Amino acid sequence: MTYYIFTLVFFLFDYFILAMGLNIQYGITGLLNFAYIGFVAIGAYVTGVASLPANVAGQHYILGLGLPFPLNTLMGGLAAMALAVLVALITLRRLRTDYLAIVLISLSLVLYDFCNNYVSLFNGADGLYNVPAPFAKTLGLGVNGFIIFFACLTGVVALIMWFVMHRILRAPLGRSLRAIRDDHVASAALGKDTFRMQLKSMMIGSFFAGIGGGLLIQFGGSFNPTAWLPGETFVVFAVLIVGGAGNNIGMFVGALLVETLLVHLPAFLPEIPGHPGLIEYIDLALVGIVLMLMLWFRPQGIVPERLRRTASFGAPERPDEDAGRLDQTAAIAAAVGAEADHDPGSGR
Amino acid sequence: MSVADAAQSAAGTAMSPALRCAGITKAFQGVHAVNGAEFDVPEGQITALIGPNGAGKTTVVNILSGAMKSDHGRMYLGETETTGWPSYKIARHGLLRTFQLSRELGGLTVLENLLTAAPNQAGDSLVNVLLRPGVIRRQERENAERALQLLEVYGLYRHRDTPARELSGGQKKLLEIARAVMGSPKVLLLDEPMAGVNPALIDVLGGYILALKAAGVTVLMVEHNLNVVERICDYVIVLAEGRTLATGRLSELRQNTEVVKAYLGEVMDVSAAN
Amino acid sequence: MTLLWLSVGFGLVTSSVLAIAAIGLSLQFGITNYVNFAYGDFMALGAFFTYFLNNEVFHINIWIALAIAALAMGGFGVLINQLLLGPFARRFHSTHYVLIVTFGLSLVMLNVIYSFWGADVRFYLLPEGTAHHVGPMLLTTNQLIVMGIAVALLAAVHATLKTTRLGKSMRAMSDNTSLAMTSGIDTRRITTITWFLSGALAGIAGTVLGISEGNLTPAAGELFLFVIFAAVIMGGIGSIYGAVAGAVFIGMATEISAAYINPAYKLDIAFVVLILTLLIRPNGLFARPGTT
Repeated sequence: MTYYIFTLVFFLFDYFILAMGLNIQYGITGLLNFAYIGFVAIGAYVTGVASLPANVAGQHYILGLGLPFPLNTLMGGLAAMALAVLVALITLRRLRTDYLAIVLISLSLVLYDFCNNYVSLFNGADGLYNVPAPFAKTLGLGVNGFIIFFACLTGVVALIMWFVMHRILRAPLGRSLRAIRDDHVASAALGKDTFRMQLKSMMIGSFFAGIGGGLLIQFGGSFNPTAWLPGETFVVFAVLIVGGAGNNIGMFVGALLVETLLVHLPAFLPEIPGHPGLIEYIDLALVGIVLMLMLWFRPQGIVPERLRRTASFGAPERPDEDAGRLDQTAAIAAAVGAEADHDPGSGR
Repeated sequence: MSVADAAQSAAGTAMSPALRCAGITKAFQGVHAVNGAEFDVPEGQITALIGPNGAGKTTVVNILSGAMKSDHGRMYLGETETTGWPSYKIARHGLLRTFQLSRELGGLTVLENLLTAAPNQAGDSLVNVLLRPGVIRRQERENAERALQLLEVYGLYRHRDTPARELSGGQKKLLEIARAVMGSPKVLLLDEPMAGVNPALIDVLGGYILALKAAGVTVLMVEHNLNVVERICDYVIVLAEGRTLATGRLSELRQNTEVVKAYLGEVMDVSAAN
Repeated sequence: MTLLWLSVGFGLVTSSVLAIAAIGLSLQFGITNYVNFAYGDFMALGAFFTYFLNNEVFHINIWIALAIAALAMGGFGVLINQLLLGPFARRFHSTHYVLIVTFGLSLVMLNVIYSFWGADVRFYLLPEGTAHHVGPMLLTTNQLIVMGIAVALLAAVHATLKTTRLGKSMRAMSDNTSLAMTSGIDTRRITTITWFLSGALAGIAGTVLGISEGNLTPAAGELFLFVIFAAVIMGGIGSIYGAVAGAVFIGMATEISAAYINPAYKLDIAFVVLILTLLIRPNGLFARPGTT
């Protein structure tokens, strides 16, 4: 029973990380990344080939570095980030929203196809397996002990990553990304290099995706194409939208409700005889329906985005009265920071 | 000598213009919206860009601010050539613009709208966010102080924490201007600031624009309301059929038969009675 | 040389399947201005409904079953628009929401198909086909019929668009929806009809895909989706003829390249074409003005 609960706990923390990554891309910046699961997969695969020693019998794959945690996972994160840079450079500059979504979903399908068929890359349809469980030997953990341990480790990683994301979202960078989401023409007119910022958003989000994927493969010890049909991106979107796009607490709530309860709980129900996999199919269809209901009845999610109040910036509050008496010229001059090199004869 | 040069030497100004364009053309699917626009915007003054509908004024504004690229021609911000620059780069060099239909950042608060406009924010860089939080915190506080002061000037202080999408139309117009001012512009392009604004607010806005000039900002405004132009503008550029038709003071231009002809049927004389 | 001609033959068949699918997608995208990401699943549902009629419960002739399935899928398209996509598209100004909904619809439909038919591979009951020599190519009767269907559908769509009032209204809407509305065109009715056509064409495309591939799986439509996207985008949004041209090009390119590279990757060639199109000529080859 405990192991079952800790498995759910692992998926809660892992999908919290994944949701934070998609959140900065979609919730904050407004990029419809329908290929998100592809980045998660790259993170998982690269972490796998970074962890496995070279040339394990029965599997074909590139690299094989035998690296320990956390180096292997970081490699996964960086690989996903590199893919994001490539994709962004090709697609972001000139594509409108739906074209971007089309390219991304196509990318997801092609990546899937590729990994399935190109065996020497990540062992094709069989995928990678027997990926070493971090610290299991040194701590002398059995299978079940490892589950508990790794779920807690993932929790720690999630906490660190939450802290980083929190900082980013609260900073001017987060605000600029939201500005671009709301109106990229106005944002550019205010001096924001929208392409570069969208690129940053893709990179950060994909890094999170890669880390989440890396943790996935180490938890289960294996990863293969059945784990990531493009529809899986949608589950992450569901986490986002149900929880509340745009804020981190929403991500956690979403992960709890969608991933843990909706997706994984039923996996522990007994199979219906004569219909293998039926429960899983109904479950996923249900996720889709829940999302549509949520989008219709409460599009802001369970935990809506909360805007920052003035006090949090540390500036002193002013007497709450309209101007009128305020010396406009002086105030505007001070605010504008007018330089002193204007010709005094120029029409004052 | 170009029309602009002639006008300038006539006006007797000796300093270099804040904003300059020459030979600008822009066609959309074969139809020329702009066909040889050329003018100098004198520094520190309020200049109006007027002309009948379809004269290409908004297209020129879009080109000057980098929102569109011209097919031919060059433009300069001060001494720097800005031909072909994207809008964010031109904005960073000191030319900011407002939009005719207000483009508020709806999901951000009024204060955040202004903060977005603050130039040179260290916090836009990921490296700084991770490694130099103290610097960012300080900058945010300074920017917030400046922004709050501006909000008070423009009468938006009490809405500082309101999401911008919830403002009224008039408030959004004020926000549009306040936000541009927050960006410390050297040149401010106003695209029909008085459009759809009720008469009481027109006076207030006019006052704000004059205050901008007093603070040393160069203003170029596209405007249909010639009454406003008469009251606050020092200099006028007339555009018709995508070309610069004439420049000078409004009183002189009213005598110019070509200008009057261009406005055929439109409100050139009636406005004097407004 | 024979290999090349064989590939050309396959190419014609693939192009036909692709063309039918692309017309359906292009029609709907042009009118509604958003992409239906569940289109591949519409194809799959159509294919499985045909299977239901042809080889599961009844044993109706494949071509008749195809026709029935087409009508059923047309009705399905109308239903989905009435109950789901239409309301979402009208309610939210940004297309984000309806795109996510179509994405979600895809997940729901795929799993519903899995629920009813499982993940096993299925086959149609096809009449014995003989191979015919068409010039230097070798094509079976069924393949020729598929090509014939594609040509007939293209002709029908062309005739409708060019000569009928419906067609003119559709073209007007595709160019500029708000202008069409103020011109007195009943945009709701046109949209409904378009969804019927799109659903029907998807159903036909899914079935002929199953016929030409030789088997059916629930995810086949989804996996084929990006190839259809490539054809539609290459041809240019809103242009039916462009979509067909794109379909022919990509159909040929994938099959001919399969003769020289590992055939497992032949569909991925379409992705390369998609990227190149978007980089070089993002409006496609025949885009209508005002569709950016």
